[in-house]
Amino acid sequence: MTSITVTPDPFTLVPYDAAEIASLVEEAAARAEVPPGVEIALVVDEELFAPLTGHMSDVVDGRIVLWISGANFEDNKRPCHFSAEQARIDLAVMMLRGKDRLSEDFAEAPPDAQLSRGERAAWDAYAAGRASRLGFAVRRPRQLYDFRLQHGFTDASDAAFERCWDGERLTWAAVREICKETGASERGVSKVPVDLLRQK
Amino acid sequence: MKKMLPESELARDERFVRTKIEDRLFDPRGPKVAQRNTGPARMGPDRPAAGERSRSLMHGIFVGEIQALEGAGRTCYDFDDETAPFQLKLDMARQCWDESRHCEISVKLGDHMGTEIGEYTESTFLFAAACNPDPVLRLCGVNRALEGLAIDVFNSMKEFGNESGDPILEFCEDWMLADEVTHVKMGSDWLRRLTDTDPERRERALEFQRTVDAIFNLGGFRGDDEENPVQLARNFRRLAGFTDEENDSLAALARESTEQAREMAEMAAAALDASAQGS
Repeated sequence: MTSITVTPDPFTLVPYDAAEIASLVEEAAARAEVPPGVEIALVVDEELFAPLTGHMSDVVDGRIVLWISGANFEDNKRPCHFSAEQARIDLAVMMLRGKDRLSEDFAEAPPDAQLSRGERAAWDAYAAGRASRLGFAVRRPRQLYDFRLQHGFTDASDAAFERCWDGERLTWAAVREICKETGASERGVSKVPVDLLRQK
Repeated sequence: MKKMLPESELARDERFVRTKIEDRLFDPRGPKVAQRNTGPARMGPDRPAAGERSRSLMHGIFVGEIQALEGAGRTCYDFDDETAPFQLKLDMARQCWDESRHCEISVKLGDHMGTEIGEYTESTFLFAAACNPDPVLRLCGVNRALEGLAIDVFNSMKEFGNESGDPILEFCEDWMLADEVTHVKMGSDWLRRLTDTDPERRERALEFQRTVDAIFNLGGFRGDDEENPVQLARNFRRLAGFTDEENDSLAALARESTEQAREMAEMAAAALDASAQGS
């Protein structure tokens, strides 16, 4: 039995339902085949609205610790309203990345707040491709554009994206290799922290 | 066919969802976010949520192009040849041609970025500026204020394309930007010609333009600083016939709007906190 906590409960700024979100987390964890018994804690930042999206998946003491902007759950066509369809997709991607962190393949990966944007984009593409094959309605062109923003609008970058998207067993070392190939690892460090939206 | 079509009667298919500006203004999250550091609002690939921000803005540009097409088209039809000379209507017909091409380019750019038509809501207050019953005021509101804003938006997107190494975005925005400069010049030329002997009407038209400009500066959307998502494109504005004085005045207006928005956010946040403590 997996223990799931959703914070805040209740939501005070947007009419999101913590119990509904918890059941979607449970569904995503089951479909991503997160090992049973792993605790999952999700924090939703309800202050953030579209388009200020972002999410993070870390593992702390064997627990999957997730953070997501409330904007990710927001229905683009109905501001302030919860979109279960959108939440399903993002939770699946987050859960697959959380599961990656539990494995040896990603044991060396630093926490999300310390990943470069290129590393994060490659890992996201890897997770999104798997989520798509699991039946989640992930939009490939959207993922490709986000990947290109960090890895460049080049043939080499597109080929790297294909490898991430189609990959069934990538490792942290492979993600870093991809960043070398596309030149993403050569990009200067931005003054804007990757976890800026998470900081209050 | 009906003349002077109100914005509520614009034709849209089921993919489009309309929103009101008040929805965002009265969103309780607005004051909270205004007090946080969400990074420079200026577009850049290293900004938080860069992809989503650019997709959302691109969709806003797309619906803006539809409304610009509708506005120019209405100006061809709404007035007789005495109120609006035939040559003015020819210019507006030419603008329709440009705007319809911009719609098609914007749809393709949306595909490129991974969005779908109607994925985000549409606000129609751009078309509202094209409903003025005086053709001179309408041209000032649309061709000088809104097409001027389009220069700023396209230039910001072009720079974002350049910074992120995206040649498709960069060149498409550049091609559209060239048309906007022409549209602004059309507005400036017709303002001069139609109000040559009527300074009072000219002043009313310029006042209407300032009102439209102020609306689109709302909350610091456009300005000269890093905290403005859309930067004032002074060089392109100069090419379009805006004077340095007009550009300075717009920048000052933008700073004023940003400051007002900040003050409103602080007041709203304080009221929300007081309400939460009282409950």
